Amino acid sequence: MIDVFSSGVTTLAEASMEMPSIDDFLPPEILFQGTPFAINRIIFVRILATIIMLLVLGITAARAKLIPGRWQGAVEWFVEFTEKNIVYQVMGEVRGKRYVPMVVTVFACMLVFNLCGEVPGFNIAASATITLPLVFAMWCFVQYWIAGIREKGLGHFLRDEMFPKGVPVPVYILLAPIQLLELLIIRPFSLTIRLFANMVSGHLILALCLSATQFFLFEVANKAMMPFGVITFAAGAFMYLFEMLVACLQAYIFAILTTAYINMSYPEID
Amino acid sequence: MVTLAEDGVSLFLPKSYDIIWTLVILIIVAVFFYKFFLPKFQAIFDERAAKIQGGIAKAEQAQKEADEAKNKYEAQLGTARVEASKIRDDARAEASHIISDARARAESDAAQITANAERSIESMQQKAMVSLKGQVGDIATQLAGKILGSELENKNVQSDMIDKMIADLDKQNK
Repeated sequence: MIDVFSSGVTTLAEASMEMPSIDDFLPPEILFQGTPFAINRIIFVRILATIIMLLVLGITAARAKLIPGRWQGAVEWFVEFTEKNIVYQVMGEVRGKRYVPMVVTVFACMLVFNLCGEVPGFNIAASATITLPLVFAMWCFVQYWIAGIREKGLGHFLRDEMFPKGVPVPVYILLAPIQLLELLIIRPFSLTIRLFANMVSGHLILALCLSATQFFLFEVANKAMMPFGVITFAAGAFMYLFEMLVACLQAYIFAILTTAYINMSYPEID
Repeated sequence: MVTLAEDGVSLFLPKSYDIIWTLVILIIVAVFFYKFFLPKFQAIFDERAAKIQGGIAKAEQAQKEADEAKNKYEAQLGTARVEASKIRDDARAEASHIISDARARAESDAAQITANAERSIESMQQKAMVSLKGQVGDIATQLAGKILGSELENKNVQSDMIDKMIADLDKQNK
């Protein structure tokens, strides 16, 4: 555990010079600078995490047997949890079937990318640029528009969304623009900002605790300040576990909201 | 402060290379999940469900067959038992019939034999009596004649006397 933290601290110290800042999320391009394929630290982490995830899950799927081992059982549990407890519970089995692969993709990617922030050496969530949650949110956006147009037709879909039944007519003046705004902007951007802000704040707090620990234990001139290092280390350990929880929770929230938004495009009757 | 604000804004501005890489990753991962990972696991789930369902159906079939066989054997056993008891009853009835027949026949045989014996005894006795009577009469007559020295003339008297003698002899014999 100590190794984990100290290695984390060294990387952080190199990357951010003691104090974490929002520059951590705007790292310099390290490969293909200036081209559309430039790679910075976060993108590098993202590519690496993707390769690891595809390898691990690919090997698991290729070796999958009828009678599962422990690891296969865990992977199967993840798939069945996403299928039954997220998609089918929100949408029902008939509607949900076509969206299972999408939600599994979203949930698995988010889980892996968010947890990169807690992996020593990576030390930053792969989802910690605005782009990644935005792209996933746009996927959700496209899907719920397609679902709405396919199930109701564009006119009916917009009418149902902007002029919900059971509301006094004058209220529509206020309600209709808000509903349209919700449909076009609020939904995808709330998805994006929620995840991104969580990853940014999580990284900042964790890095602050750990760099403070480094500072108080090794670099401080006044040795009387060293006990503070113990406190910040305890806080860092707590934040580390807390950020793991947040990573999983935010992935889950992203997946379930994606499902819920798509489901809202379907007609009410069930 | 100004630089911080600029940084803060740029934090929320997607970079083109970031978008490209994210899309590349998303497409690769989505293709992986849609085309390989989930079909594979779905196939395994289906196969497992089919196998479990098949096992249950097979067990049910076996159970049904066993029940049928049991019922069949029990029915057979029941009819066999009924048949056996019927055979036993028949045999018992026949046996008592045979016994009573045999007894009746034996009794009638015995009665006949007894009757025959009695009859033959009677006739033999009669015969013996007749011949004895004759002989004894002759002997007695001769004897009496010799003793008396004269022959009795009257035949009727003779026979009377003989009868009387025989009766006396009988009385003495008894």
